[in-house]
Parts: sequence; structure tokens; C-alpha cells
Amino acid sequence: MLDFLQSASDGILFGATYALIGIGFTLVFGVMHKLNLAYAAASVGGAYCGLLIVKVAAGAPAFAVFFGAFLAGGVLGYLVYLTCFHFIPVSNPLAALMATVGMLLLIDEIIVHETDGVPLNYPAMFDDVMLRVGEFTLRGDLLMVFVVSMVCMAGLLALLYKTRLGLATRAVSQQAVAAQLCGIRVGRVNAMTFVVTGLLGGIAGAMIGASVGTLSPLLTTPLTIKGLIVTVIGGLGSIPGAIIAGLLVGGFESVLQQFRGVTERDLYVMLLLFVFLVFRPGGLFAPKGGRD
Amino acid sequence: MNKIALAVAAAFAATAFTSPGAFAQDKTIKIAGFGAKSGVVRGFGINSEAALLAAADQINKAGGVKLADGSKGKFAVEFLDDRCTAEEGISVIRRIAGTDAVVAIGPTCSNVAEPLFGILQKKVDDKSDSGLQMPVFTDVAIKVGLAKISEWAFRNVPNEVTMYSSLFYWLKTKHPEMKTVFGGVEEDFAHSRATWYAVMKDRAATNGYAIAGETKWLLADTNFATQVREMKKANADIVAISAHPFSTCGVLKEMQRQGVKPKLLVGLTSTSTFETMQGCAKQAEGMIIPTSFAPVTKEGKAASDATAKFKGAADLHSMAAWENMFILKQVMESEKISGNPKDVQADRRKIRDGLAKLKITKGLMGETKRTDDREADKPYLFVQAKGGHWTVLHNPL
Repeated sequence: MLDFLQSASDGILFGATYALIGIGFTLVFGVMHKLNLAYAAASVGGAYCGLLIVKVAAGAPAFAVFFGAFLAGGVLGYLVYLTCFHFIPVSNPLAALMATVGMLLLIDEIIVHETDGVPLNYPAMFDDVMLRVGEFTLRGDLLMVFVVSMVCMAGLLALLYKTRLGLATRAVSQQAVAAQLCGIRVGRVNAMTFVVTGLLGGIAGAMIGASVGTLSPLLTTPLTIKGLIVTVIGGLGSIPGAIIAGLLVGGFESVLQQFRGVTERDLYVMLLLFVFLVFRPGGLFAPKGGRD
Repeated sequence: MNKIALAVAAAFAATAFTSPGAFAQDKTIKIAGFGAKSGVVRGFGINSEAALLAAADQINKAGGVKLADGSKGKFAVEFLDDRCTAEEGISVIRRIAGTDAVVAIGPTCSNVAEPLFGILQKKVDDKSDSGLQMPVFTDVAIKVGLAKISEWAFRNVPNEVTMYSSLFYWLKTKHPEMKTVFGGVEEDFAHSRATWYAVMKDRAATNGYAIAGETKWLLADTNFATQVREMKKANADIVAISAHPFSTCGVLKEMQRQGVKPKLLVGLTSTSTFETMQGCAKQAEGMIIPTSFAPVTKEGKAASDATAKFKGAADLHSMAAWENMFILKQVMESEKISGNPKDVQADRRKIRDGLAKLKITKGLMGETKRTDDREADKPYLFVQAKGGHWTVLHNPL
């Protein structure tokens, strides 16, 4: 029982990073009805950019690296928007999808070429803290990752539901043409969505780097896959869905690893995805259909 | 007018007799290097290419390679990227076979080497086998026992069975109080997987250690909490990690978080590199690894410096590439290759036969014995992570 609780708690805490990646996918899909497959790669790219701060100022605190990753994530998000969506005709959604696949590979290769694929040490906060209740333990750095992720999600929800930008974003996601007729600049909202999800992605990348303790280009593909699984299970376009699904997938993965081993773990995660696609294709929180 | 023509002809003739290279211009001997130059193991290819170029530069500056007709040939190295994937590797070797390269050096990944050796002719002179007749002299791909796949395949990689056998024997002698070994294995990488199951585990048991258990993870895993808990429960004296730097660092950091402190840490040969120090020097402190290269000899230091000039790092893999160039020079001279593009297949065969005849080669750490199955038995030593560097702990030879 203790093994189960320990695995589940570790997985759920780490699942917060999956939730952040999932939110990025789902928010872009919700607003533009398009998938940005370069999102996880840009998030890891943002985390790498954060490390530049350590290069410039050796011994910079972990917080500065995370903040650098946050800002770089926003810039990368905007660049992805410009290169993969802005100039590509709306009538050709497949072109945008393929452009993001190309961007994923491009970001991955840039990281590989800049680092020669060498894993880089990534700073962490509270990595020497371990909360103990008898045999049960909770990692301080994972708790921090969880708290930061929750704060980011709360911030995002506040942005969406308490600001004019959020109102415009929700309007565009529900009915882009009607929003445009109401005077909302759809292009600007789309660009801002990418910047906001990029900022979130930068934090997600930094949190993943902090929780592993090392950053490697190896992370981009598995995170892209996990992000997509979380998005589908949570329901395309649903932010609460992405949060719940991220935590669920993290916990599920960790428990299965404990009891079925690493070679079977991903098999069961894929099976979970398959079950959702067959029996609940809209995911946990499928948004109501639009008037289109 | 006739006098002027005569004078010009005489001048040409004089130049021809006084210039040593005028009779036969230096020939170019093409060597094709190949390995991963993209993807997460790009470092292997970068370092191998740098070592090949540095060795070629040194050989060329010393006059090049002596050919059958007495002329000199200069090495020209071209390095191709196989992306560490089998299909790309096979495509690359087919491309190389279509050029006038006389020999190929590579690949860097065992998952490429295994299928790639499979498309070479199995037995020399077997007319029923249409496999490629191209000598391949591997520098990096280290998985045990691959060269036996084809008589055109040769390797100059360390013998992990010998090295880990010697390491566990030495540890048993040095620390008789240690009784148990726990293994951690990167399950989805050919080399690390084979090294734990076929080498480390077996060699530890043979030397009297009890195997307290093993745990597995994947190359791109991000969460090692479960595996390290298993490690903690086993409470073994020695933890042997058969994994590459990224996941080795992830596991070592998780061990630090969970307070897992084995008496000794043993690592995979491929981890005794700069990458591990870059990713987790602090956590790797004390880790012991057998390796076939450390810049402890005069030749080793010189090779390391020369490779650095070509922007590569010297390690057990790249320095094997360096050694391969000098071994090939020796073979080409003893077998008297012509260096003419029209004789490329005959030259390839001569190089293959020359490599097969070798019993001993000169390496950077001393003499390397060649085995009948075209593998190398290289000298080795044990290194230990100390203060962010790999330092020599013990030389068993």
C-alpha cells in the first residue's frame, strides 16, 4: 500500500508538468482549432535559454534561470506563431500542422547542435528538502514544481476569466467571425495566445529541468507525446481537463511503473488513451460544441 | 624559335628531375568515417570525426602513406552522419561502397553496427553471398561480440567482458567486505542493456558478488523515483549503473534526493566522458569505470591535444578512431595498396586481409591484441570521478 501511495504521489506531483504542457496544446487548439506540435519542443527550448543566464552570470539563482525560461518561452511561442501559423493560409490546416512538426524537429536539432546533445545540469529549488511521514516521503523540489504549476494554472484561469484579453480569447475560441465583427482583432488574440502559452511552456520546461536535474534534447519527443495524450484525455480545448488529465497520467504512469515495470508502463498509458478515444472521445471535460 | 622551344623543354625537364613529386603526384586515399552527428548522441560523431581528421593531418604532415608503386598517398577523410539509426547507417555504408573510399571507420552506435555488419559479405570469397565487400573498422560501437557477423567487419573497441571482470576482481580484492551488487539498466539502448545483462551482472556474480536485484529505466525517462526506491530497499554495497550520461545523471540525482549512498558506484564504459561531468559531476563523485583511454601516456596526451584542435574531445571512443587511422596506414603499407581509383575493390580486399592478419597493434595506451574473431583486446585502466574530472584510480596491467 505504501508503495502504491508513494508512486501515486510522486507521479501526481510530476504530472503537474504534463498538465502545463497539456494546457499549452489545449489553449491553442481551443482558440485556433489547430494543433501546435512544436509546443513541447519550444518549452524545452525556453528552459535551455534560461540556462544562458547561468552562462552570463555564473552562480545565478535558480529563480533567475526559471524567470529566463519563462520569458524565452514567450518569445519562442511568438516565433512559432509567426512561422507556423501567421503566414499560412487559414484554409489549409494541414500545412500549419506540418509546419509545427517541422518546427519541432528544427528546435530539437538546434538544441542538439548547440549542446552536441550533452545533458546539461539544471538548477533546482528545494532539492535537498524531503518531507517524511514515517516511510512515506515527498520530494521538496517536486512539491515546488507542483505549487509553481498550480500558481501558473491559476494565473492563466484569472487571465482568461478576469481580463479583457481573456474575454477576447474566449470570444475568438467560441466564434472567431462573430468576435471579429465585434471589433476584436483575431490575429492579435491568436498571437497573444501563443505568447501566453509560450510563457507557460517556458515555466513547464524549467520545472521539468528542475525536477529531473538535467536538461537534454531527449525530452522533446516524449513530452510532445505526453502533452497530446493529456490534451486528448482532458478534452481538446478544456483547461480544467488538461490539468486533471496531466495529474492523472503522471500518477497512472508512476503506479504502473511500480507494479508492471518500465517496459510495460507506456503500453498501459497508450491503452488508457485508446480507452478514452473509444469510449469517451471528447475526453474528461469535452467542451460544448460551437455554433459552427 | 627552335632554340627557345628547346630551352623551355630543357627547363621543364630540369624541373621534372629535381622535383621529387613530379613523377607521380601524391594520390588521395579516401577514408570514409561515419557515425551519429545529429540527435542526442551527436557527441560521438563529432569527437570521432575530429580524431580522424587530426590523425589524418598528422599522418599527411609526416609524408602520408607509402603506396605499392613507391609514391605517397595523402589521407582524405569524409565523415557521414548515420543519425544513430539502423536504416540510415545501412544507407550510408551502401553510399560509401559506391565511392572510391578504400575503408570505412564507424559506426558509433551498436544498434547501427549490428544490422550494418549483417549486410556485409559473411565469408570472404563466398560467391553465393552478394553482401557488400567493404572493410569496416569500427571505433565506437561497443556491444560485445559484433565483429563475428562478417569477415569484413573489424573492431578496435575495448573488451568489456575483460574490463568488468578485472574491475570486479579488483574490487573484491580491495574491498572484501562488500558482498552485494545492485544493477540499474537503461533498457532501451543496445549497448547499456547488453553490458548489464551479458557483462556486468555475470562478471560480478563470477567474482563472488551476490546480485541484490536490478531496476530498469528508459533512455528518455524523466522520473526515477520508483527505481531508486527499489535500489534503496535492496541496500546493496555496490550500485552498478549501465546507462548513458543523461539517464545516469537523472538516477544519480534521484539517489541523492532519496539519500541512497552505496559504498561504491560502478558506471558504464561510455559514461567516463565529459558529458557526465557536465550533467552531474557532484553526484557522480566516486564513480568507478573501466576505460581504454585516459591521457596518461605521452602519445595519449598528444592525440588528445591534436583532437582538441579539431574541436573534439578525447575519450575511449574517439581515441579508438585515432588509433584506427594509424593501424590502417600500417596495413596499407604492408599490403601495398595501389591507391588508384580503378583498383579500389582490390585495395579494399588487401586492407581486409591485412587487418585480418594483425595479431598486435600499437595503441595510445600500449599494445592491443587482435583476436581471431576480429575484435580487440585493448589495455585498460580504472578511472574515478573526482572533483569534476575523471582521474586514474588503478592500472591493472
